[in-house]
Amino acid sequence: MAQKLKETILNPILKGNPITVLVLGICSALAVTVQLKGALVMALSVIAVTGLSSLVCSLLRNTIPNRVRIIVQLVVVAMMVILVDQILKAGEATYAIDKQLSVYIGLIITNCIVMGRIEAFALGNKPIPSLLDGLANGVGYGLILVVVAFFRELLGSGTLFGFQVLPASYVPNNLVILPPFALILLGCIIWVHRAFDKDLQEN
Amino acid sequence: MNTNSNVYTVIYTAIVVVIVAAVLAFVAMKLGPAQDANAKAETLRQMMSAAKIRSTEELYATKNADILQLYADNIEEAYTIDLEGNKTAELGISKDNIELVSKLKPQNKAIKAGEGATLPVYIFKSGIAVIPIYGAGLWGPVWGYIAFEPDCHTIAGAFFDHESETPGLGAKIKDEPWFREKFAGKTVEWGDEPAFRLEKNAEAQGGTNAVDAITGATMTSKGLNEALNTWFNAYQKHFGLGAFFNMLEQHAIQTTPNAEEE
Repeated sequence: MAQKLKETILNPILKGNPITVLVLGICSALAVTVQLKGALVMALSVIAVTGLSSLVCSLLRNTIPNRVRIIVQLVVVAMMVILVDQILKAGEATYAIDKQLSVYIGLIITNCIVMGRIEAFALGNKPIPSLLDGLANGVGYGLILVVVAFFRELLGSGTLFGFQVLPASYVPNNLVILPPFALILLGCIIWVHRAFDKDLQEN
Repeated sequence: MNTNSNVYTVIYTAIVVVIVAAVLAFVAMKLGPAQDANAKAETLRQMMSAAKIRSTEELYATKNADILQLYADNIEEAYTIDLEGNKTAELGISKDNIELVSKLKPQNKAIKAGEGATLPVYIFKSGIAVIPIYGAGLWGPVWGYIAFEPDCHTIAGAFFDHESETPGLGAKIKDEPWFREKFAGKTVEWGDEPAFRLEKNAEAQGGTNAVDAITGATMTSKGLNEALNTWFNAYQKHFGLGAFFNMLEQHAIQTTPNAEEE
């Protein structure tokens, strides 16, 4: 049992990472990774949404009518996303970040990871493992987001969390700011991931 | 229990939706005041950035409560006008009762319809007057605040914001300080058609009421240009009729800062 729980938590972060292995949630990974701060808030938001939606759907799993289960899941996910958005808007410190992330917070609803984990895991498992599975998938997603944002902010603006780290003589690379570079970076991360994990390599 | 029967399905979904709606309504109600306070502080920051009360970075590093205080300390008068340029009402300026016309979309509609607009004018103690502008960018609304020198002809500063313009292109109207800084020192030619030009190569064609559009952000620039001119036209009667200058005199604000030299 403990072994299985450990697997539930570690698998989405490493071997079954939603972005690099399942290639889900790419859209927002390209859009919100220009700055570390935004990426971190986005990651935390997704972790909260995946975790709580999985928990609620798992609690409801025996009562949800099979024919409308996707709609019920969607309602639950939408509620969580709106809650996160409202809370970010209400916080004095997070208000500016919420404005910067604009539609992408709302678009967490359509993030395939959330629905995917509910459909694949939460509907067939007990609440606690479902919560952990949701959280772990959010962490797996957030990890990649933060790594991509780290390189994009460093090379694209010469800053980290808004603080200047590269010397002022560094000329920021504009390509890095544009979404295509996130795709290139993601490709590199997937390459490195596969190079280390032999199980992921195809013949 | 048969969870697949029609009756069960309908009742179940109805209950779920009602519960979710209740939760969201409750949260929105509880968080509403905090969100409004954030939005108000944001508007004040942008107005004071345009009016050069403090630098933009400094304003964004200042807490909400201090922003309210800073505004109350620096504002001389705030009021609304109609499209005929007549003053219609005073807006509160004390720290605990700062009133703003923050919903610009309905005003934009009213300007276009030609009636019923309530347009704010914010006069700071330095004699700088700030007015808002609002219009449609490429993906969503763009808006901003234009600050005028006491001569009401020269632009003292500007701040632009947007909801969802393309990062790196249209979003430059907010992200790139050089863009808004270009407006300082430009003029608005009241009564001219157009009163201001934000167009390709506008600066090279001469005239002090021109700023070059942003390369790669044609639609955002066009939208901003239209927003500027629509709102300048709406304020034209107020700033053109001399009503504004009479008001300044009432408050004994020096309209010609270099009077002694002249």
